[in-house]
Order: sequence, then C-alpha cells, then structure tokens
Amino acid sequence: MSDSNSTVRWTLNGTEVENEAGMTIMEAAKVHGVDIPQFCYHPGLSIAGNCRICMVESNRSPKPVISCSERIAEGLEIKTQSEVAVDARNSVMEFQLINHPLDCPVCDKAGECVLQDHSYEHGPDRSRFVEDKNIRHTKELGPTIDIWGNRCIVCTRCVRFCDEISGTGELCVVERGDRSVVDVFPGVPIDNSLAGNTVDICPVGALISSDFKYEARVWNMDKTSSVCGGCSRGCNVEVETLDGFVKRLTPRENLDVNDWWMCDHGRYGWRHLYADSRLESAQHDGQAVSPTGTSGALHQLLSSSSSTAFLVDPYMTCEELHLVRSIANSLGGSTIAGWLPAAGTEETFPGGFKISADKHPNRKGAEHVLGSDLFTASADQLKSALSNGSIDTLVAFVGGDGFEGAGGEWNDLISKAGKRIVFATQQGSWCDGADLVVPATAPLEKEGVWVNEDDRAQRTRSCRSLTSNHFPSELVVLQELQVHMDLRNRPLSAAGIFRELSETSDAFSGHSHSGLGDSGSPLSQRPAAMSSEGGHS
Amino acid sequence: MTVTETLAFSDEAMKKYEWLLSRYPTRKAALLPTLRIAESEFGELGVPQMKYVADLMEIPPATVFGVVTFYTHYRRAGVGKYHLQVCSTLSCALRGSGDVVSRVTERLGIGVGETSECGLFTLSKVECLGSCDTAPVIQCNDDYHEGLSLEDVDALIEQLRQEAGKGGA
Amino acid sequence: MSFRKIFTPYIHEDKCHSLKFYQSKGGYEQARKALNDWQPDDLIETVKAANLRGRGGAGFPTGVKWGFVPKQVDKPKYLAVNADESEPGTFKDRLIMEKNPHLLLEGIIICCKAVGIHHAYIYIRGEFVFGANRLQNAIDRAYSEGILGENCLGSDFKLDVTVHRGAGAYICGEETGMLTSIEGDRGQPKLKPPFPAVEGLFGCPTVVNNVETLANLPYILEIGAEEYRKIGPENSPGPKLFCVSGHVEKPGVFELPMGVSLRTLIDEHAGGVWKGRKLKAVIPGGSSAHVLTADECDVAMDIESLAAAGTMLGSAGVIVMDETTCMVDALLNIMRFYHHESCGQCTPCREGTGWLEKIAHRIAVGGGRIEDLDLVTEVCDRMVGKTICALADAAAFPAESIVKKFREDFVAAIENGGSPAWVKRHPANTGGAAAHV
Ligand SMILES: Cc1cc2nc3c(=O)[nH]c(=O)nc-3n(C[C@H](O)[C@H](O)[C@H](O)COP(=O)(O)O)c2cc1C
Ligand code: SF4
Ligand code: SF4
Ligand code: SF4
Ligand code: FES
Ligand code: FES
Repeated sequence: MSDSNSTVRWTLNGTEVENEAGMTIMEAAKVHGVDIPQFCYHPGLSIAGNCRICMVESNRSPKPVISCSERIAEGLEIKTQSEVAVDARNSVMEFQLINHPLDCPVCDKAGECVLQDHSYEHGPDRSRFVEDKNIRHTKELGPTIDIWGNRCIVCTRCVRFCDEISGTGELCVVERGDRSVVDVFPGVPIDNSLAGNTVDICPVGALISSDFKYEARVWNMDKTSSVCGGCSRGCNVEVETLDGFVKRLTPRENLDVNDWWMCDHGRYGWRHLYADSRLESAQHDGQAVSPTGTSGALHQLLSSSSSTAFLVDPYMTCEELHLVRSIANSLGGSTIAGWLPAAGTEETFPGGFKISADKHPNRKGAEHVLGSDLFTASADQLKSALSNGSIDTLVAFVGGDGFEGAGGEWNDLISKAGKRIVFATQQGSWCDGADLVVPATAPLEKEGVWVNEDDRAQRTRSCRSLTSNHFPSELVVLQELQVHMDLRNRPLSAAGIFRELSETSDAFSGHSHSGLGDSGSPLSQRPAAMSSEGGHS
Repeated sequence: MTVTETLAFSDEAMKKYEWLLSRYPTRKAALLPTLRIAESEFGELGVPQMKYVADLMEIPPATVFGVVTFYTHYRRAGVGKYHLQVCSTLSCALRGSGDVVSRVTERLGIGVGETSECGLFTLSKVECLGSCDTAPVIQCNDDYHEGLSLEDVDALIEQLRQEAGKGGA
Repeated sequence: MSFRKIFTPYIHEDKCHSLKFYQSKGGYEQARKALNDWQPDDLIETVKAANLRGRGGAGFPTGVKWGFVPKQVDKPKYLAVNADESEPGTFKDRLIMEKNPHLLLEGIIICCKAVGIHHAYIYIRGEFVFGANRLQNAIDRAYSEGILGENCLGSDFKLDVTVHRGAGAYICGEETGMLTSIEGDRGQPKLKPPFPAVEGLFGCPTVVNNVETLANLPYILEIGAEEYRKIGPENSPGPKLFCVSGHVEKPGVFELPMGVSLRTLIDEHAGGVWKGRKLKAVIPGGSSAHVLTADECDVAMDIESLAAAGTMLGSAGVIVMDETTCMVDALLNIMRFYHHESCGQCTPCREGTGWLEKIAHRIAVGGGRIEDLDLVTEVCDRMVGKTICALADAAAFPAESIVKKFREDFVAAIENGGSPAWVKRHPANTGGAAAHV
C-alpha cells in the first residue's frame, strides 16, 4: 500500500476521488469539475462561512456542511446534488431574495451578479414573501464608491478586503440582524489606493463604482485581456470597451503578479486615453499628414540625415524597441538612449499587494532589448551629444505625460537637434517646432510584450478599435518605414516581431507570444521545447 | 466643531484604561470595557466619543462604529438623562409590560424610542433583562426597578423628576 | 441522603455574599484541596464520573469538555465563564453572582486547576451592573486575601480572574459569540471547527462553562462523584436551579434536584397558575425550547426526559402561560426577540427570523392567511441546521411547535381579524396589544 500522507481519498457524488490533503471540499470538488456556488468565499480573503450557499451533504454530519470551510478527509462522502444539498441551496437563495429589491434592470451589476446567476440556477421560481421589504441606506462611502444597501447580502467580502488586503479598515458592518449593512465611520470615507477592488468582489450590486455607474450594461461590452501600464508591477487587467471606448478596467487573476487585485491609479488611469491633449494625426511642418503618408514622411527625413539618434521611453513594447534597434542599426552609427519619467512612491499593503515606485511598465524590457545602460550612460551620452549640437536628426518617443514629469530637462535638449521627429501621445512643448509629429499609442493601446520589475514578460493587448482613433500604431509605422528602407517586405504582427526579437536576443530566446499566453512568464523560465510559433500572419 | 480635540479621559479614567490593557493579551480586547469608560466619562457614545476611543486604542474608527452599533446597551448620542428601558420579552409581556409602556407614554408624552422635550427621559423597549420573576421590569440607566405596578411607574417617574430637580438639571 | 441546597441555602441572610460569611460555611475548602492535594487529571476524572452536565443550555458533560483541551500546548489556556444569562425566562446565574459570588469563584479555581488555566474571564451581560459590581468586589477581596493571584490559597498556582461586561446582545451567550465579544469585536459566533477547547479565546484552548455549572464543582469535590450522581436521575444528576416566570402566583428561582416534575414545580413551588386560572402552555427551557401544552406537563425536568418529550431542559427557564394567553401574540413576542437578536451573519437566520416576525405580526393584526401556518413551518425547516450557531434553531423550535400545537389560536386570529387583544383594542390608535407584546 502506498499510503501517502499528502493525498486523501474521498467520495464526491458517488465517485471515489483523490486530492491533496488540506484542501477544502469546494477547492477539491473544483478540481473534479464540480463547481459549488459561493457568495462570501473569496480565494484571496479569510473564510467567513456566512452566506451558506455552498452547503453540501456530508456522511460525517447530520446537518449539511459548508464546503468553503470544511476540509476533505479520508472516507468523507460528499453529495452536491442530493435532496439535502439542493434543499439547502434553495433555502439560502429564497432567504437571500426575500428582502432583495430585485432591481436588476437598473443595477450596474446585472450581467455579472452572483446573486442573479445563482437565482436562475438554484432559486425559487416564485416568491412566498408577501411582507414589506427592509430598507437600508443608499449613500456615498467614498469618492469612488457608493453603496446600495438594499442589495447588500452582508457577505463581508468588502470589509475583509479593507481589513486584510488594503489594511485600511475603512469599512464595517453596522447594526445587526437584517438591519446589518456596510458603512464607513461618519467623516472617514473609504479612500485607499486599492478601494476599487471592493466593487469587483462585491458579489451583488451593493458596492457601485461612481466612475462606472450607468455607463454601460456589462453584457454589451467587449473585453480585452491586457496589462496595466501604470507601473512596473504589470497588473493583469481586463479592458472593457463599449463601441470601442474604454468604460472600465478590472483586474484579471494572476497569482504571480497581482492576485485578484489592481490599484485605483491603474484602474482609473485609462481616462488619459481620451484627454483633449491626445494627438490624433501626424503633422509635418505644421501640415496634417494622412495616416498612410506618415512612414513616407519619416523615411524622407531620415534618409537625408547625417547623424541620427533615437530617444525611447519605457512605455514602448519590446517589439517597438526591437524595430527601433533594427532601424538604428541599418542607419549605421546611430545612438539609442532612453529617458525615464520621474519615479513615484511605492505603496505596499498588508495583504502583499505592492504598487511600484517605478511608474514605467517596460523599463526592464527596454534594458533587455537595448542594453542595461540605456537609461544611464547612453542617456548621458546623448545629452552631451545634443548639447554640443552633434545630432542632426533626433527621433524621440514621448509617451506618458511627456517630459513634464522628468523635470523638463529633455525639452531643452531635444530642441538642439538639427531636425526633430517626435512620436507623442500628448500634445506638449516637446512637439513645438518638431519637423514631424507622429501620434503614438498609449498603454492599453499597444500590442506586444512588457517586462515587469520582476523580470516577467507579459503580453499587453490593444483595446483600440477603428472608432476610438484612427492613426496607425508605432508597430505599423516603424515597419512601414522598414519597408521603405527595404529592410522588410511587409509588416508582421506583434507576434512575428517578437519572434524576430527572440531569435536575436538571449534574454528573450525561447519565448513566444503564444508561450506567454494570457498570464506571462518569467524571462528566466524558458519553455522546455522551442515553440514553433510563426509570425507570418 | 472641535469636540474631538477637547475630549480626553481624566487621569483616573486613563489609569483604568491602562489597567484594562494589562488584563488582556490584545489591545483590541479592551475595546468593550474602554467604551464603558468613555460612556461614563463623556455621558454618551456619539461620533466624537467613538473617534476618541478609536484614536486612543489605535483601532480603525469603522471597527469601533461596527462594535458600538452591534450592541444595544451602550448609551448612544441623544439619550435622555434617564433611559427608561422597559423589558418587553415574553415573561414581562405576560405580566403587563405593555401596560407599563403605555403608562410611561401617557405620563411623559413620548413614544418608544423618543426623548422627552425636557431631555430627561428616553423610553425604549428592550429584551429580557434576566429578571423575569420580578416582571414587569424597567432598567433605568444602571438600576433595575422590579415588580412594577402602574402606580410604581408613576412613583418612579416622580422620583426621577425630583432627583433631577435637586441635581439642578 | 436528603436533598441539600448548595446555591441558595443562605440567600435570605444579610451578608450572604461576603467572603467572611462564605468562609464561615466552609467556603474555599474544596478549592484549597484542589490546589494543594488534587492532581489535575483526577479532578477531570471526578467531574466526568459525577456526570456533571452543562447548565448553560446544551447540557454537554463538563468533564468530557475539559478533556478535549490539549494537555501540552505552548499557548496559554483560558476559561470563559458564561454569565451572559440572556435566554428569555432565565435568571438563575444572576442569583449566584449577586448572592453567592464566592461559590462561583471557588468553582472557577477548581476548573482552572483541573485544566491548567491561569486566566479566567467572566462574561457578564452588560445590564447586570449590580451583579458585576458584586462580583468585582468579591474578586477584589479574593485577591487581597490571597485566594486569587500569584499563589492561590497558599499554593504555587497562579490565577487571574477578570470580569468582562457585555453590552446588550443575546448572541453573546452563545459560546463563540461570547469569545468574539471578549476579543473586542461584534459578538458574532465563529465557525466550528475549530472548537473552543482547541482554538478559542485569542486563538488559544479555552473552556467555556456556565456560572451554575462551575458552582457545582465545590460540592462534587466535597461529597464525591458517587454521591453526587445519586442526586436526581443518573444521566443528568445534581442540584439544579429552576426559574419559573409568567402566569404563576410565586415566580422565582427554585433549587431542587434535577428531575423534579414540571407539574410539581409549577403547582407547588411556584404557587400554581395565578388568579385561579387554568394552565395553557409552558416553555420549559428558556424561549428557545419547543412549547408544551398543559397536557404535556407531567414530565421530569431533566435533560433526557425533556428531550424525550420533544423539547429541552435548556437553561431551565420555565415560562408559564395561562388560559387567557393568545399564542399568536406569544409567537409574535418570541419572534420579535430572535429577530432583534440575530447577529445577522448567516443568511437563513438573518432573513428567516425577520420573516417569521413579519408573518406572526401580520396574523396578529388581522392580515393572516391559512397558508401562513404551513409557511411558518416551512420557513423554520429552511432555517434549522443551516447556520453558524444555534440561534436560528432557537427561533425555529418555538415557532414550529407553537403553530403546530396551538393551531386553533391562529385559525381564530385569521378568521376574526387578529388576535383577541388586537381586536379588542383596535381601532384605538395606540397601536394595539400586538404591537406591545
Ligand atoms: C443563542 C444561544 C444563546 C445562549 N445563551 C447562553 C447564556 O446566556 N448563558 C449560558 O450559559 N449559555 C448560553 N448558551 C449556551 C452556550 O453556547 C454554551 O453551550 C454554554 O455556555 C456552555 O457551558 P456549559 O457547558 O457549562 O453549559 C447559549 C447558546 C445559544 C445557541
Ligand atoms: S457591500 Fe457587497 S461585498 Fe460588501 S458585504 Fe455587502 S454584498 Fe458583500
Ligand atoms: S499596481 Fe501598477 S500595474 Fe498594478 S494596477 Fe496599479 S498602476 Fe497598474
Ligand atoms: S445563526 Fe443567527 S445568530 Fe447564529 S451566527 Fe448565524 S446569524 Fe448569527
Ligand atoms: S461560500 Fe461557503 S458559506 Fe459562503
Ligand atoms: S422577560 Fe423581562 S426580564 Fe425576562
């Protein structure tokens, strides 16, 4: 008998199964494809066991047990579909719904509401409750969060989040019994950098983001799995758009990066995409250039340049940076340097979440593609070259908030180049007097790979659509330039460019877009077999 | 308003608080008894008083708020000098607590949950006070008044009024 | 051996609560022996052999519970004394604390010695201000006389006792709700397992015992397990405090052997139903027990007999209702209590208690429907056994039994436009009797 201590044999719905010891019934059942409903359970929070929806029948207990907290044990027999289990779930659903306002038509959570989902599946078909419903408060809990108390099922997820993850403790349940509802202390609103997560984890429409309120019905939105560009954590996010316009960002689970969370800077940071100062079209000597003409104008300027330098930023993807490198190489003797916006402050939280002081999503990646002294020695070199007027043509990539945050030093320096081409997301002094201004994509609009502060490569995907803005991305413009320069026959996808990068760079070798998948991979952890992914699309 | 700034435990209360801390392995465990100190120091547990306790104990104010509102026996803000808490649970109800409530209502002109205009009396219905053999019962502030006839209720109110008068309230 | 009162023999004497009085009657002798002569395991075995069963409501064998506490742990262990006395119809622990506080302290010392506990918290409900002061004075005296503190009664045993006042919440009588409340939180019961004996107060092994349970201990040591087991029925022996309230001539606490007949308790000890009226209903063990009809009252007041009769001894709070009582009003009163007291964390209890009160209220004020009677039963079914603590069951038991056993009162209220009291007072806009009860 190979009776290993670490596995437990138990019976799930009549079938004998094995799982690792110490797992809860809920976790273990999931491994075998049995999903047990849940309201109060959240994998990132302590177990409250209060909603009771996850009750199942057990051979070890005369009463149904809650599967989110009870653990599997040798010989345990669990039934999730027996009369006892079904009746227990129906009971909880009936109780959940009696005082619920059932206002799904006007509730922002509708479409992703756990209560709504479970009530279709486990709920009563008619209500036996003929009494008046209880009334609880609807109010602002903080600058970004409102509560609709009548919808609150007192699962305490949000309270536990503020106690355990953000450690800020602004939320509490007040009163008791069916008067219980979530509240803040009078005059002490919920206002922490992780607050938005409470809205995501509220299983019902009780906590509502004032930013998203009435903006869209969730089922009408398109989702793009991407990565936040707010700092070098690289939180995995879902970008949700309606008719091509971003409506909200929500965190995407990644236990190696952000768990289930993201910060509010990242969450609400997407508004910069629609700032009035966004550049929308290329300008050549003050004249608008058509989207198709941009690369031609670029080629023209570069082909007459005697000495060219490139100034890149840490928002650019590894693919964009790779293209810059190959263009610079073909021009011969070009300098490449990088500039860094100012660092922010680091914030750490008791639950382990960290907002990095490094506000740049791809500083690490840029160093891997273009050298570890890109932002230091190379930058100093370029600064002195610019100062002494030895640069004929400068191609500067100015993402983020531009040079403002970096102290403005580069503003003076770039004007010393003979000719200046600026790729910029925002209008600003760096565009003034430029020979060619090219609109640039911002984080969330880019397609490619970023490497976060832990040296993890992750794919950021573009939520751009034709209606949101029209200009071609740098990925396209730079490749078209290569076509003009006879360096390439036709543009490839980001995956294809990444393949070129992985073939020419040790740091990236063995990695591919498909290998990185949705959740990325540490650069040091190369896939065992070389991926044979093609980039020939 | 600078109520919060002016609130502070007396030296004696502070000593008691320090003693409390020594009786528990965690600071938070002293919360309920510390709220009692605050209650007697400040007369009630309103927002500034709860904030004072939260700051003193370095506990999030929301936690204190959740705790105070969970329990029904703390003196919340706005309660009159005499809090008449009439037990209304079964044994008392069987022996006429409903009539006691009506009597207080008639005499003072206040309903359940209300405070008399003079600020002296607040009337509440409360649950079993653990004195069912002497039903009906009123707890007035800390004191039990047991086995009450309606005349006893009148006398109690009269006595409290006089007491308040003497105290120069 | 004739029955000897142990809790209440001197309660009518002036200074019965004083240390001097207590010692003059042999007080603290058993604690002294426990501290100096007894081995902890022998104490546990003796309490097991005596078959002392918890007096707080669940009737769990005390010695067995102590045995669950791990012997070797690197954490402190605690005793949490349940003096919350919040079960409606119960007022016995108050008597011990006010009249005989040193008896409780002596019991505490014995328990702590047996289990190896050096700090006991007495959780007393907030309303008992007088009782808390009495207890604190007794503790202060015990410290100054060397009964408590570093060297209890001259032994090398250290014991601290701290009074922790509640603040108005029935649920803090539930053992884990009490523990959360001592920890400084909203008094919400905790998930079990882990059980308090393994992981209780501050995450440490904890014994939870009721005041009356502990007050039995000196006597058990004094007369021995064998003699103790001869008092009352063997499977739930001992002297017992019975509380009788409601419609009787002489409500009060009566110290009698376990197993006294309920009928005798009401008719002889409590002076019978008041005003010469007839008995209608009795709740024998605090309001959380199933109700008994007048015909069902020839039952022995002990744990097993009452369980066999479909109800429970609970806290031995006997609430008597005479023939004039409308059981619709009684149900409404009881349901209002549980609705008010549910801590609200688990769905079936939070929502079910409020629903039951609303149905009872509707019937009492004339809006009842016949199908409501089945609805009450079904709502109860949906609550029982599905919650973190037993409060949901405690609400459902009286509800389902009252509706079942007194159906005619409900039918009458439905047909007559409300309970008799409501009909009589209506339409006077004072709100009607139903609103009062
Ligand atoms: C809702 C509820 C309320 C309770 N209230 C009390 C109480 O007021 N006093 C008490 O001693 N036990 C009360 N209990 C029982 C306790 O949970 C626990 O069983 C008891 O304190 C254990 O002590 P014992 O074994 O000495 O009886 C209550 C239980 C429940 C479920
Ligand atoms: S607001 Fe939402 S997350 Fe918070 S307790 Fe209520 S239902 Fe749960
Ligand atoms: S921590 Fe950084 S990456 Fe994560 S959401 Fe915030 S800004 Fe974005
Ligand atoms: S059963 Fe009721 S009182 Fe007990 S934990 Fe659940 S909600 Fe609270
Ligand atoms: S998910 Fe298990 S009790 Fe809520
Ligand atoms: S019912 Fe009023 S004191 Fe118990």
